Amino acid sequence: MQQSAVDAVIRGLKRAGVSIVCYLPDSLFKELYPALDADPDIRTIQVTNEGEGAAICGGVFLSGKRAALVMENSGLRASVEPLARMGLGAGIPVVMLMSYRGDMGENNWWAVPHGVTMEPVLQALRIPYVVEREEERIEQAIFDAYELAYSSYYHTAVALSGSIVR
Amino acid sequence: MKRFECMTKLAARLSDELVILSLGASVDEWYNAAPHMRAASLFQQQLGCVTPQAFGLAAGLPERQIISLDTDGGLLFNLGILATLGNERPKNLFVVVWDNEMYQSIGGPKTHTASGTVDLAAIAQGAGVTHAYTARTLDEFDAHCEAGLASDDPYIVVAKVAGTVQPEIKRKHSDGREDKYIFVRHVEATEGITIMGPSEHN
Repeated sequence: MQQSAVDAVIRGLKRAGVSIVCYLPDSLFKELYPALDADPDIRTIQVTNEGEGAAICGGVFLSGKRAALVMENSGLRASVEPLARMGLGAGIPVVMLMSYRGDMGENNWWAVPHGVTMEPVLQALRIPYVVEREEERIEQAIFDAYELAYSSYYHTAVALSGSIVR
Repeated sequence: MKRFECMTKLAARLSDELVILSLGASVDEWYNAAPHMRAASLFQQQLGCVTPQAFGLAAGLPERQIISLDTDGGLLFNLGILATLGNERPKNLFVVVWDNEMYQSIGGPKTHTASGTVDLAAIAQGAGVTHAYTARTLDEFDAHCEAGLASDDPYIVVAKVAGTVQPEIKRKHSDGREDKYIFVRHVEATEGITIMGPSEHN
């Protein structure tokens, strides 16, 4: 990621009122994680799997603070169980920011499943999402994801792809 | 050691704390053992989510004491949270693991702790949660509640309890969605904050 894209993500998170970020590091967002760690206004919590991160984010929601789950899109699959139970069972929302592995331009064989499954999994869970490939859209997309999540009390997701992450 | 008796001991120590609760029969037992904590307890049906949710709540409300009432099956579902607690070291999180060595809510098939070789407190210690203990008597459990609620370090007590359910207790009627609203409104009232506020237009 370019520094300007990293800055746009952090601007979007701050504009949405996020103060806690749970993440499991990945390669496409490589530059984002240390920037989040270094930001004095954001507490980062590194987790052991993304489902754990989703559940922690759910707990943060209950505190009145705002959280984000930042991950590679493969983490969506690891999060399905807590997302389904919290979202559909209780109306506890989690906002996700994902790098889009397996999109057009993918040059790793192991990342192909991530591209094949991401959108169908989001659709199966009825999670509204956007895929952004232009840096100038990042900040607003993140802000909008929180607006809808806090109106619906349901999850939303932003996937970043294209030149933003390559 | 009976879980309901342990719950009664713990409940007697609680007033303004917040509780996240695991699934199964322990929900109805806590509903009856701690009637004064009903609005302050989030009854959730989420295997593997209870302690992570409680930690998220503790991270968001660092001045409030948070209690996770987890289970052997629930903790085994996501042992990674122990490593996260070991690293993050929340000052305000007390975790009780009701270890009845079975999946009680589906009729009692054994969990991995039934073999006697799997020690959840030892796993927690290995993950960096220094204060992780096993309680086998009511007095031991009560002493750990006192210490755990006063601890400035994450504290876990694995309570070895019988696989019985307290008879003739009142069933909780609400679902997860209603429970969430009750809990959130309680947090809002006691913290003086807005979590689920009004829309732009009504």
